[in-house]
Amino acid sequence: MAQGDLAKDGLLAVDGVVAGYGAAEQILKGCSLRVGAGEIVSIIGPNGAGKSTLLKTIAGLVSAREGAIVLNGADVTGEGALGRARHGIGFVPQERNVFGAMTVAENLEISGFQEPGKMRERSEELYARYPMLAGKRRALARTLSGGQRQILAMAMGLMNAPALLLLDEPTAGLSPKAAEELFEAIVALNKGGLPILMVEQHALEALEISTRGYVLVSGRNSREGSGPALAADPEIRRLFLGG
Amino acid sequence: MTLLLQALINGLMTGALIAVPAIGFSAIFAVLRYPNFAIASYATIGAFAAWWANAVAGLPIIPALAIAFAVTGVVGVVAEETSLKRLRDNGALIVAIASIALNLVLENIVRFIFGNDMKGYDLPLARDLRFGELRIGPQQLQSLALSVVIMAAMFLFLRYTRFGKAMRAVADNPDLARLKGIDPARIAIVTVFLGAGLSGVGGVLIGLDTSIDPLTGYRVLLSVFAAAVLGGLGSIPGAVVGALALGIAEELALIAVPATYRTAVGFVAILIMLTFRPRGILGERAA
Repeated sequence: MAQGDLAKDGLLAVDGVVAGYGAAEQILKGCSLRVGAGEIVSIIGPNGAGKSTLLKTIAGLVSAREGAIVLNGADVTGEGALGRARHGIGFVPQERNVFGAMTVAENLEISGFQEPGKMRERSEELYARYPMLAGKRRALARTLSGGQRQILAMAMGLMNAPALLLLDEPTAGLSPKAAEELFEAIVALNKGGLPILMVEQHALEALEISTRGYVLVSGRNSREGSGPALAADPEIRRLFLGG
Repeated sequence: MTLLLQALINGLMTGALIAVPAIGFSAIFAVLRYPNFAIASYATIGAFAAWWANAVAGLPIIPALAIAFAVTGVVGVVAEETSLKRLRDNGALIVAIASIALNLVLENIVRFIFGNDMKGYDLPLARDLRFGELRIGPQQLQSLALSVVIMAAMFLFLRYTRFGKAMRAVADNPDLARLKGIDPARIAIVTVFLGAGLSGVGGVLIGLDTSIDPLTGYRVLLSVFAAAVLGGLGSIPGAVVGALALGIAEELALIAVPATYRTAVGFVAILIMLTFRPRGILGERAA
């Protein structure tokens, strides 16, 4: 998809975003990306490139000092996490992504806080989609295994029926089998029409299921292209994929 | 043996009274992450609001409790929004110190309006109930029953209502709660209203047992704080367990030491808990 088409049809447009945590610290030094309707877009790069910071900036947990973030044609740059959530951004953080002291059922219910009238219906849909959660309704979230917790976190991200789902390292710490199952779950979600933007440590697997990918180095865009093309690029493989 | 049983019963009664403001203190700590020592003045304000409703306006004690809850909740929210809230960005220690100052201001406003004299509720006089050698005051029993009902209502609120669950979510992880569309600022207002309201009700229950004056809340502040630390700061079930444990410990200590040392039990309990188990009996993380 050409850049112009994305600007016109794109769901999310991030332009020249500069952001960081402390007053002087600058992690992102002018990042840009697009996510179009129905796409899976992956962000890869070395450690410290600013991948997770970019997702947190899009989700509103980190403020953008410069640049613009536009979702569905609305400029959300000045909004915090709460406002972005209300605009339809669902973000699943890498860590502390469930309410550990609450049960699985309560985690889902509270994630549908914005639309209480649809909470029960959406919970049941998610129990049908992820039967493991149905069997663990009354279990405290902190007692789930890593893979189960990631499925719960993703299901929580879906409770508000987001327009775009952001996933930060969804397979971090998972066994290869659990990671494979999670990738399958991500593809299945996307096939249902949900656009997904993710940062993933298993870069090769992520690019293979992605429509497009971005390579981030030292807080700046380095490369971009279709997911399979980036996965097959010898230089990318050498630098980031260990191949 | 009778002495021991009587101390246990008295301890449970005292603990149940302390538990109500301790729940308020812990709820505010869980959501806003700072110890609000102004709950002492909230307890005093609640005690005086109920006294006015009961002894001046002639209402029975249950509606007077409801008035105390509402008045103190509103005072707590106004105090939070106009003074403490603006200091939150400076860290928990600064807000805690400011809450001590706020406590003095509110306590003196009560003193200015109602004077320094002790006041008592308009309650029917009744003889103690006797069970063999054991004695229990009917008023103590009523206060115990009210405490249990209030605690049960709070647990039901937290477990089954949308706002109760949102409070628990914000207490657990405010950033994640925000990502789910929950506004922590709104939840903070609800929490302060409840926390201050419960402190006010606690002040009434304590006053029902004896009498009230502008220092009613201040006198139980250490016990409330010790109960919250014992149970685990921020843990609401912990506040109940801590209050009951402290109440029993205080009463048992009276068997061995003079009553003047009663307050020391709270200090000793805090020291022991912070030394050996800083997260408290039911706390999930070090405070």
